[in-house]
Amino acid sequence: MRQTYGKTLPGMKLTDLSGKLIVVEGTDGAGRTTQINLLKGWLEERGHAVLDTGITRSELAGEGIRRAKEGNNLGRVTQSLFYATDFVDRLENEIVPALRAGFVVLTDRYIYSLMARAIVRGMDPAWIRSIYSMALVPDAVIYLRIGVDELIPRVIFSRGFDYWESGMDVFPGQDMYENFRSYQTALLAEFERLSVEYHFEIVDGSADVKTVFAELQKKILRIVSDASQERAPSHADELATLRMKTQEAWAARLRELRASDLEVLPRKAPPTPPNGTEHPITEADRSA
Amino acid sequence: MNTGSNVRIGPFEIFRPVEESAERPQLNGGPPFPGKLFVVEGIDGSGKSTQLSLLHKWLESKGYGVVFSTWNSSAVVKDTTKLGKKKKMLTPATFSLIHATDFADRIERSILPLLKAGAVVLCDRYIYTAFARDVSRGMNSRWVRELYGFAVKPTVAFYFRVPLETAIGRLVAARDGFKFYEAGLDLGLSDDPTESFRLFQGRILREYERMIPEFGLTVIDATLPVEVQQAQVRQIAEIHLHRAKELRVRP
Repeated sequence: MRQTYGKTLPGMKLTDLSGKLIVVEGTDGAGRTTQINLLKGWLEERGHAVLDTGITRSELAGEGIRRAKEGNNLGRVTQSLFYATDFVDRLENEIVPALRAGFVVLTDRYIYSLMARAIVRGMDPAWIRSIYSMALVPDAVIYLRIGVDELIPRVIFSRGFDYWESGMDVFPGQDMYENFRSYQTALLAEFERLSVEYHFEIVDGSADVKTVFAELQKKILRIVSDASQERAPSHADELATLRMKTQEAWAARLRELRASDLEVLPRKAPPTPPNGTEHPITEADRSA
Repeated sequence: MNTGSNVRIGPFEIFRPVEESAERPQLNGGPPFPGKLFVVEGIDGSGKSTQLSLLHKWLESKGYGVVFSTWNSSAVVKDTTKLGKKKKMLTPATFSLIHATDFADRIERSILPLLKAGAVVLCDRYIYTAFARDVSRGMNSRWVRELYGFAVKPTVAFYFRVPLETAIGRLVAARDGFKFYEAGLDLGLSDDPTESFRLFQGRILREYERMIPEFGLTVIDATLPVEVQQAQVRQIAEIHLHRAKELRVRP
């Protein structure tokens, strides 16, 4: 069964999410998007159904965030929460359904970028971690690591410095170059801290596209089964599956027993007693 | 020589001298600002908005610089909330988060600066509304409380307590029909909007009752005549305004 980082959203069932969740993380200009496009084609060729998603692509909040950013119109707490809204909308409406349907989900950034950005903007790390405690633990987090000095030429010779990627809302003064350096340095330092806590698999993002792609392929092959060379299950496989199912059943039972910590409200509430005030928020909730 | 340091309190980094100062821009501290923050809470039909607007009139007549802030009114977030509600796209989690985003924008750009400037800020609904609604929708109560960890603790949070039937009686007389999320129709409690509203408000009422001791809400009996309630509200507000050192005068 899939795990979250501590809390489960109402109505979200964690069983039968058989797909794979693969996160590609890295700062602005690290080459995430290029690699994800390559990976998507490669995985589809191998016979996997792929969903690619990324920050601000939600139907609910994507447009709102883009508009607010154009106006340079977002406070720090507001920003952090707007991104969280976008994330949860995609988690509930894209990522989880795709995993349930057995897709490989490639996500361009995940909660780690959102956390790093918020922390660099002065948010309490414990606060932001608590918000994202409902995120699913991915099958792999691949971090494209790159230094500021390698980053700068990439940014200059592609789209140029962007207001938010240069942390103009964080650092004083009008010098975009200086601010870009300071902001990205702070972000990278935060990523390093997160990489330990969340077990990032690190890939050198400063290498050329082909080398990075080959590295990513190697790592991803360990996670996704080779759909094109599917073989008939052997007796040993069946036993292994059975063992896994038993373990899962036990884990599920244990979770039920500990359900007071999870407080999941089913989408359709159970029949309510006539006075209509009963609902399944547990007593433990109150006493905590 | 120890000169103090920057400390993170909630999401804000503030300068903190060596001793614990009384100033904590956070839920659990008192408002560290010269301004005063009065908020009203209660279920729909409790009469809280009426009471707040009467308080507003009175404060203005006394010459205070008063600013009014309503729930769910941020210009930046408005369109997203509207979209979510119109298309019925909101889940309990995104409903919670989009309202927190809206509130954050109002805190950062309006409420906090106003309090720092010494204004009297009046809020029709505050974080307790979010706690009551979100938990009634099945969100984890600790998670929601953490989410709003950046909120400023109000000077006084008035809770207008009213029995469910009284409130519903007032509303049914005043309106024709309830909106989708307002009636909690997203929860599938009942297909009938009025019945769903009744069930949902019942849950919310229970959450409010739970929060009275938790947050020290000031309870006003909302079945009393309007004038009696208002006299109580003014009396309590006056005590706090009396203690205030430097409040803005109305220009």
